[in-house]
Amino acid sequence: MNVYASIRYGLITVVLIVLQTTFIRFISIESITPDILVVWIVYLALRYGQIHATVAGFILGFIVDIISGDFLGLYALSKTVCGFVAGYSYDENRTTQTLATYRFALIVLLASIVHNVIYFTIFVQGSELPFWRTLGLFGVTTSLYTSALSLLPIFGYSRAKGDRVLPR
Amino acid sequence: MRRLFYIVRLFKEYFILALFVIVSISLMAQNDNRQIHGIRTLTIGLLGKMQESVSFLPNFFHLQEENEALRRANVNLADELNQLREAKLENMRLHRLLGLRETAKYDLIPAKVIGKTLYLLRNTITMNVGEKDRVAPGMPIVTDRGLVGKILATSGGYALGEIIMNRDFRVGARIQRSRVDGILAWEGGTHSRLKNISKTLDVKVGDVVETSGYSNTYPPSIRIGVVGAVTEQPGSLFKTIWVENAVDFATLEEVFVMNSLPDSARARLEEKVLR
Repeated sequence: MNVYASIRYGLITVVLIVLQTTFIRFISIESITPDILVVWIVYLALRYGQIHATVAGFILGFIVDIISGDFLGLYALSKTVCGFVAGYSYDENRTTQTLATYRFALIVLLASIVHNVIYFTIFVQGSELPFWRTLGLFGVTTSLYTSALSLLPIFGYSRAKGDRVLPR
Repeated sequence: MRRLFYIVRLFKEYFILALFVIVSISLMAQNDNRQIHGIRTLTIGLLGKMQESVSFLPNFFHLQEENEALRRANVNLADELNQLREAKLENMRLHRLLGLRETAKYDLIPAKVIGKTLYLLRNTITMNVGEKDRVAPGMPIVTDRGLVGKILATSGGYALGEIIMNRDFRVGARIQRSRVDGILAWEGGTHSRLKNISKTLDVKVGDVVETSGYSNTYPPSIRIGVVGAVTEQPGSLFKTIWVENAVDFATLEEVFVMNSLPDSARARLEEKVLR
């Protein structure tokens, strides 16, 4: 990744953090909000591989930790592992096919579930919150919403590349 | 040495993952660090400015629901206003008779909710008051309907508040009618749960729940909500009590910060003894 690309990705990251922390509540449904940062981490994983996604996951998670005001390190950990797991889907010969098809949404779903499992496993410690109920009510629904939202960049990417969303 | 570098290069993905996992876990262990408080103060200020600039935008999914709630609240408030006028007249008469002075126990600092963060189970609100308005962490947040939460962090002009519907929120609460004490917490969903109430104690649906005053943070007798359901599980010593919150967080716009800080001497003593 060259300097200009790094700056461009940095700016996109800032915009996405602003969107996640300020605007995303406008599309919340019953307190469930999608995590567009997970979508971004998965995108980076598919474009640049596991190391980039792991580093990006940590940086994004750390920033969100600071903004969210409590339990510093929890998002950093969740998003680091999320990036690492998403990185397994990296295949430089099939980047376009993956990004422009429903496979991207499936990878987002998987990465988001991994993220939420780690997040809630630590989050419910020391409380009486039931893990499975909390994961089901908030983790899985958030993952599904995030995955559904990831269909939008698929359509955008697919149109830009002139490909079909579904395999021929 | 060369062999070590070769191994690191071969498994560099895993080394990077391990490094960041260790850093993340270290951060989790440093949650009360002063430097981190400084960074948070800065980011809360920036976030507050951003959220203030978009606070006029409505949530389209909740607009209809919000309108209905507002209409219902309007009718209820009109009714309540008449009752309050009557009560105030009666109160004034009694005060005159007793020669008491009408005094407010705490200063109330008005604040506008300029942002709501709904991120998994960490629900917080951002308000347009901060250190320059004498707002400090630990101060309770209320509305005319009851308890909202407490101040979590502040910057010059903004404050971040932890609301009842936050996983980390706890408050000592009691049933107003029978004076039964418990601890109120939120476990997701629309209701809070009153815990540690034995099956033998007197709690009924419709009972008003208020702050108990045992807490060092919240003054006594602030309304929290009403008991919505009481169930008893076989094999448990305690009742399961669900509380309907008095404050509607979906339509929360104006709040008051109570200028009441936890008693530091009491906190120090409790920390010293109970640690």
